[in-house]
Amino acid sequence: MASRRRMLLKVIILGDSGVGKTSLMNQYVNRKFSNQYKATIGADFLTKEVQFEDRLFTLQIWDTAGQERFQSLGVAFYRGADCCVLVHDVNVMKSFDSLNNWREEFLIQASPADPENFPFVVLGNKVDVDGGNSRVVSEKKAKAWCASKGNIPYFETSAKEGLNVEAAFECIARNALKNEPEEEIYLPDTIDVANARQQKSSGCEC
Amino acid sequence: MQSVSNHYYQHQPVTEVGNGSSTEIESERLINSKYAGENGGASATSVSGADYVQEFSNNSSSVAEDGVLLGSAKSQWVPGNRHVDEDDASVSWRERKKHFFVLSDSGKPIYSRYGDEHKLAGFSATLQAIISFVENGGDRVKFVRAGKHQVVFLVKEPIYLVCISCTEEPYESLRRQLEFLYGQMILILTKSVNRCFQKNSKFDMRPLLGGTDVVFSSLFHTFSWNPASFLHAYTCLPLPYATRQAAGAILQDVADSGVLFTMLMCKYKVVSLVGAQKASLHPDDLLLLANFIMTSESFSPICLPRYNPMAFLHAYVHYFDVNTYLVLLTSSADAFFHLKDCRILIEKVLLKSDVLSEIQRSLLQGGLRVENLPVYPSTRPTSLFHLNEPRLVTGPQERLQEAFVGIGGPAGLWHFIYRNMYLDQYVSSEFSSPIAGHQQQKRLYRAYQKLYASMHDKGTGPHKTQFKRNENYAFSVVITVLLCWVTQDFELYAAFDPLADKGLAIRTCNRVCQWVKDVENEIFFMGGSPFVW
Repeated sequence: MASRRRMLLKVIILGDSGVGKTSLMNQYVNRKFSNQYKATIGADFLTKEVQFEDRLFTLQIWDTAGQERFQSLGVAFYRGADCCVLVHDVNVMKSFDSLNNWREEFLIQASPADPENFPFVVLGNKVDVDGGNSRVVSEKKAKAWCASKGNIPYFETSAKEGLNVEAAFECIARNALKNEPEEEIYLPDTIDVANARQQKSSGCEC
Repeated sequence: MQSVSNHYYQHQPVTEVGNGSSTEIESERLINSKYAGENGGASATSVSGADYVQEFSNNSSSVAEDGVLLGSAKSQWVPGNRHVDEDDASVSWRERKKHFFVLSDSGKPIYSRYGDEHKLAGFSATLQAIISFVENGGDRVKFVRAGKHQVVFLVKEPIYLVCISCTEEPYESLRRQLEFLYGQMILILTKSVNRCFQKNSKFDMRPLLGGTDVVFSSLFHTFSWNPASFLHAYTCLPLPYATRQAAGAILQDVADSGVLFTMLMCKYKVVSLVGAQKASLHPDDLLLLANFIMTSESFSPICLPRYNPMAFLHAYVHYFDVNTYLVLLTSSADAFFHLKDCRILIEKVLLKSDVLSEIQRSLLQGGLRVENLPVYPSTRPTSLFHLNEPRLVTGPQERLQEAFVGIGGPAGLWHFIYRNMYLDQYVSSEFSSPIAGHQQQKRLYRAYQKLYASMHDKGTGPHKTQFKRNENYAFSVVITVLLCWVTQDFELYAAFDPLADKGLAIRTCNRVCQWVKDVENEIFFMGGSPFVW
């Protein structure tokens, strides 16, 4: 019934340090790019409103730090996420190899109701670097991995040039929408005074 | 299990001790609103033009230091107006003196006093990050001080509540206000809402709170003018003893017909209350309920958090006039017509027994006035309703009265609040002329609030008496002397003019206590019903 209402999506961006998570977010939210590297401390938060299929979304983007010392952000950070974005640098093989760990870590911490179908998106970033000559992770390789993990959508992006960034985030919104739970009727208990005072009766014991 | 009857609210250890130097420099603007800032019947004009004092930062260039708004073009205060155009990047948002936030434990915004929750999603996430970062270390964050600002946290898994304030209110007071905010939410939704989060941590609670902005904004307003919000006690409308008895009798009849709670109220003051056997009502629930109730006849599900936080009751409300209303609480969702019949019966009896007109009379006359504090031993009759008999406006007595304007009561007594520990009730004197202004009244309440917190401080207290001069009480000229006296039976909070003599003030307080005792039948609801508070 309330399908027209504004939705807030919690989006978590994960990946090794230096793959460009913050830059992607900045490109998407502020349409800005800086060549200077500044490590994210802990986590950064940004908000972006998007319109998609006649619906208004607010993306609450959690940009996390890639450094190992911040990797124990824990349950609280991942809790209630609507989508998880895994980022790697196509010029660094290790960052691609780490994707598996990031994905598993996320599933353990966030423990979503349906881990098989939890919406992930994989981004292969920095495709602009050196005209693609220093590239070590091929599109084919990345896509194969995505396919093996339940057909995760894959995008090749350049935060610097703004390539595919918009499309990737649109996919995030679409995925999260698909995963929207059924609207439930909110039914608290009522008090049965006749039988047992202040004992809750079973309005809904589901 | 919910029949909490605590006379004394157990506080967490206090981390900040009120030292009497509240440097509260506030610039506020006076705006008309439907919320009558209860400034008593002390001045006859106060009944109609109710003012609302909006909290506003003092470093805003558009507001003069004496509190007068200069650019008052957009000054109409609308209940529930939350300035949704603002977000954490807005200067005006940052300058608001007191923010309240509610968010889920996944960092999703649920409510913000100012600004649009969606636009504050990033801010909300930051708050969650702070809370969970400390929690990861096996600890719990209570508050953070940052310059003039205090950030107070309250964790009610899976809901987080945060207050950011530069009002210099003590930590305990702000935390209590967060408790009230949580309670108000429970009153609207019940704690069963937690199950939604258990099933789905992504759950968005905001739609369930749709249309309740007015309730919350009026609650925040309550924190500034209603002593019930820090005393954990309720107050009664002063009435002749026989009148209150008559009202109680008819409410009792209805209660026997299967109504859980029956209450006759005038604004936030109790006329009479009756509960079904063993059912007890907590003063905090009463405050939240009175705050939730809207005008006109209504029937709606509500939850009393201290009675049973998991379940709904159903409230039938009917207004007899602008101020006086009846609340009937039942557990049955189908009881509307039965309750309506009850109301018709009650109304008939109340009209016949003149209760409603007595209520009107009491409203006009006001309650205890410091100017009327008797001299003991007194030969005068000890009824409030003789003392306050309407005088001829042109009579010589009235002129005598006028000579006292600006002085207040004897020995420089300006105001007092007396809290009866056994009854969980308090009585507050009317505001005398030296504190006729809204800002002065608000500051006085804040000073009482601070006094309350320091009196109940586990670290340095509990104290028995405190006599303190409020040095830089305000930026302007207002300076008061406060006296607080706590015993097993009562708590007295009194405000005197700056030059008050300590010995004289103490003697005056003794007179106040004697006076309150003499008229207790009229100012307190003495029970007589099967009430277990």
